Amino acid sequence: MSAFEIAVLATGFLLILAGCFCLMRTYHIIKIIIGIEIAMKAVTLFIAYAGHINGEMGLAQSFIITIIVVEVVIAVVLSGISLNLYKKYKSMDLRNIRKLKG
Amino acid sequence: MEITISICLGFMLIFAVIAVMNKSMLKSAIALALVSIMLGVVLYLLSAEWAAVFEISVCSGLVTVISVSAISLTNEDKGQLQKKYMDKKRMAILPYILILSGFLLVFIVLTAKIDLPYDKISEPVSDSLSEVLWNSRQADVWGQIIILLTGAFAVVTLFKEA
Repeated sequence: MSAFEIAVLATGFLLILAGCFCLMRTYHIIKIIIGIEIAMKAVTLFIAYAGHINGEMGLAQSFIITIIVVEVVIAVVLSGISLNLYKKYKSMDLRNIRKLKG
Repeated sequence: MEITISICLGFMLIFAVIAVMNKSMLKSAIALALVSIMLGVVLYLLSAEWAAVFEISVCSGLVTVISVSAISLTNEDKGQLQKKYMDKKRMAILPYILILSGFLLVFIVLTAKIDLPYDKISEPVSDSLSEVLWNSRQADVWGQIIILLTGAFAVVTLFKEA
């Protein structure tokens, strides 16, 4: 494996690690959106590199566009949930979700 | 090209660490936008032009606008923010974990002699995005439409006046 390939793979794995660490260690909902986005960026990088080394860039681009659509919908829905939670509890703490009933 | 991509990947990692560790949510959102821009440059250099355009306009533009508006609509007290979530203290070990894992990964790859699975047997479907998306991956387009509609309905339900 060349040094460039190792750099791409290591960056992807470290980005996933940073995103998962963010998800595990915070309770702020916006920070959780940021953690998910960072982990998804790594997946995008992996798919783009897979398309590059196999010469199937058209297929890889179609997958990347699907990932981007999913990413945006996740961000929008989570922001909506966070705004509603703030309206109810005046706090962005995710633990407040456990208090919801019905 | 490989050097430019490597530099962009390095910046991507640095901005990701800033986005995770910063106690200010606004700065974190801006760092996330910078991660997206760096990924857009990498995609462009890997000759995925359309994906790069989408990445920069949607992920770096739209998602940042959404998160910044969510942050500004929910202005929690800045002093209380750090006391309540303790992000700076809780995230302090992240750089050490990343450096350690990076060295470990490189060590494993070099000692185990892992090779990437190059697929040289199959013929590429097509290099053109529109041909692939509209002819061979039509189910993906329907999936995207359903996901977008689900998101739109979710937002309508979340912001419904009681």
